[in-house]
Amino acid sequence: MTDAAPATQQNLHTLYRDHHSWLQNWLRRQLGNTWDAADLSQDAFIKVLTSSQNVADIREPRAYLLTVGKRLLNTFYARRSLEQAYLDALQQLPQALAPSPEQRWALLETLQALDELLDGLPLAVRRAFLWSQLEGLGYRDIAARLQVSERTVKRYMAQAYEHCLLLELA
Amino acid sequence: MSSITQAERRDITRAAARWLALLDAEDCSEDDRARLAHWRSSNPEHEHAWQRALQLRQRFAGLPSALSLAALDRPDLGRRVAVKRVLGACALLPAGWLVGRQLPVQAWTADVHTATGEQQRMPLAESIELQLNTDSAVNLQLAERRLTLVRGELALSAAGDQPLSIILPQAVLTLRDAEVCVRRFDGHCRIAVARGRVQLAASAGASELLEGGQQVSVSAGGLSGWTPYDPTLPDWRQGVLLADNQPLGDFLRELRRYRPGVLRWDPALERLRVTGSFRLDDTDRVLALLAASLPLSVQTRTRYWVSLAPRQENA
Repeated sequence: MTDAAPATQQNLHTLYRDHHSWLQNWLRRQLGNTWDAADLSQDAFIKVLTSSQNVADIREPRAYLLTVGKRLLNTFYARRSLEQAYLDALQQLPQALAPSPEQRWALLETLQALDELLDGLPLAVRRAFLWSQLEGLGYRDIAARLQVSERTVKRYMAQAYEHCLLLELA
Repeated sequence: MSSITQAERRDITRAAARWLALLDAEDCSEDDRARLAHWRSSNPEHEHAWQRALQLRQRFAGLPSALSLAALDRPDLGRRVAVKRVLGACALLPAGWLVGRQLPVQAWTADVHTATGEQQRMPLAESIELQLNTDSAVNLQLAERRLTLVRGELALSAAGDQPLSIILPQAVLTLRDAEVCVRRFDGHCRIAVARGRVQLAASAGASELLEGGQQVSVSAGGLSGWTPYDPTLPDWRQGVLLADNQPLGDFLRELRRYRPGVLRWDPALERLRVTGSFRLDDTDRVLALLAASLPLSVQTRTRYWVSLAPRQENA
C-alpha cells in the first residue's frame, strides 16, 4: 500500500501523456465537436483513476481507453436523449401537474441516475421493470402488454433487480 | 461483514433480487412469504442484502409517474440500442459511478398519494372517507382533524358532529356532516358540494356557506364561477369521465390527467365535439373509441407517447 500509490500515479501520468490526445481525437470524430470530446476524454481518465482497475495492469491501454470512451459516449447520448424527452414531456404536461422549477432540475438528475442504472438491460426487461415500479402495474398486466407469460415477467423483474443491485454493489 | 467473499455476496444479492421479484407477483403465497422470512433471518448477510433490495425499490417510489415514464421509457430507446450495437459491446466498468448519489425522493412524497391513472378510496377514521383521484397527494393531520390538498383532487365524505377541515392554498373548508369534492388547479381550487353544507373561509377575506348542489372556484382574488353541481351524475369517483358535447381539446386535457406519459394532438382537432361516458381505467380504449367516432387517427410511438392527428381521408 505504501509505495503502490505513487507508482499508480506515475502510471496514470504515462497513460495520460501517451494516449490522451489520441482518445480525444477519436471522441471528436464520433461526436463531431471538440468541446464535448475534451470533456469526455477528461472524464475517461477520471474514470480510470477512480476504477478499481490497477493502471499498471492495463496491457492494452488504447483498447482499454476505447472501452471506457465508448461507455462514456453511450452515457453522453443517453443523457442527451433523456433530457430531450424530459423537456418535451414537461412542455406537454398541464401546468397544474408540472413540478415546480426547483424540483425540475432535481428530478432530471434523479432520472439520469436511474437511466444509467438501467442502462444495458434488454428493452422488454427495462419496460417491465419501469411499468412495475413507476406505474404500479401487476405482472399480469405487464405480461398482457408485452405479450409474454407472467413467468417471463417475473424472470424479467428478477433480472432487472439483480442488474441494479449488482451495479450498486460494484 | 468481511467474512464472506465477493462471489458469495453476489450470490446473496442475486437471491435477494429473486425474492423481491417473487414478492411482487400476484401468485406469491403465504408459504413464499414464510420462506422469505426464514431466508432473511437465517443469515445477517441475507437481511443486509434484503434491505439493500428494498432501498433500490424506494428509489423509484414517489417519483411523478408521467414525467418519469416519458423520460425513462422514451421513444428513441430502441434507436439507442442500435447505436450501442454500432459502438460495440461495452464492458461494464467497476466504478463508484452511482455511489453516494442521494435521490431527492422526499420532494415528491406526501402522506398519501396516488400515481397517474390510479384512484384510491380510504377510510380515515370512523365515518370519514377520503377518495383520491389520479396523481393526487394529501397530507393528513388526523389528530387535528385536518388535511391538506397538496396536489390533484379529492372527495371527502364525513358524518357526525365533529368538524373537519381541508386546507387549500387559497381557503380553508370546514364541514361536519357533508360530502365535498375539491380539485386543485394552478392558482385556484374548484369546490363542489355533493351533500350537506361546507363553510368556506377564503384567505382573501370572504366567508361563505356552500350548500349541496353548488360549486365555486376560489383564488387569491376571492370567489368566482358559481354554478350548480349535479351530484347524481357519475364522475371520477365512479371511474367515469362524462362528456356532453364537449370540445375535444377540453376532453383530452381531462383525459391526459389519467394517462401516464405524453398525449398530444393536432390543434386542428381542438374544436371537434365529443359526447359520451368513458371508463377511466382503460384510457387506451377511450382513445380507440375516439378514433372510431371522430375523424382522427391515433399514432402510438410508445405507450407513453401518443399523438392524435386528423385522419387523412384520401390515404
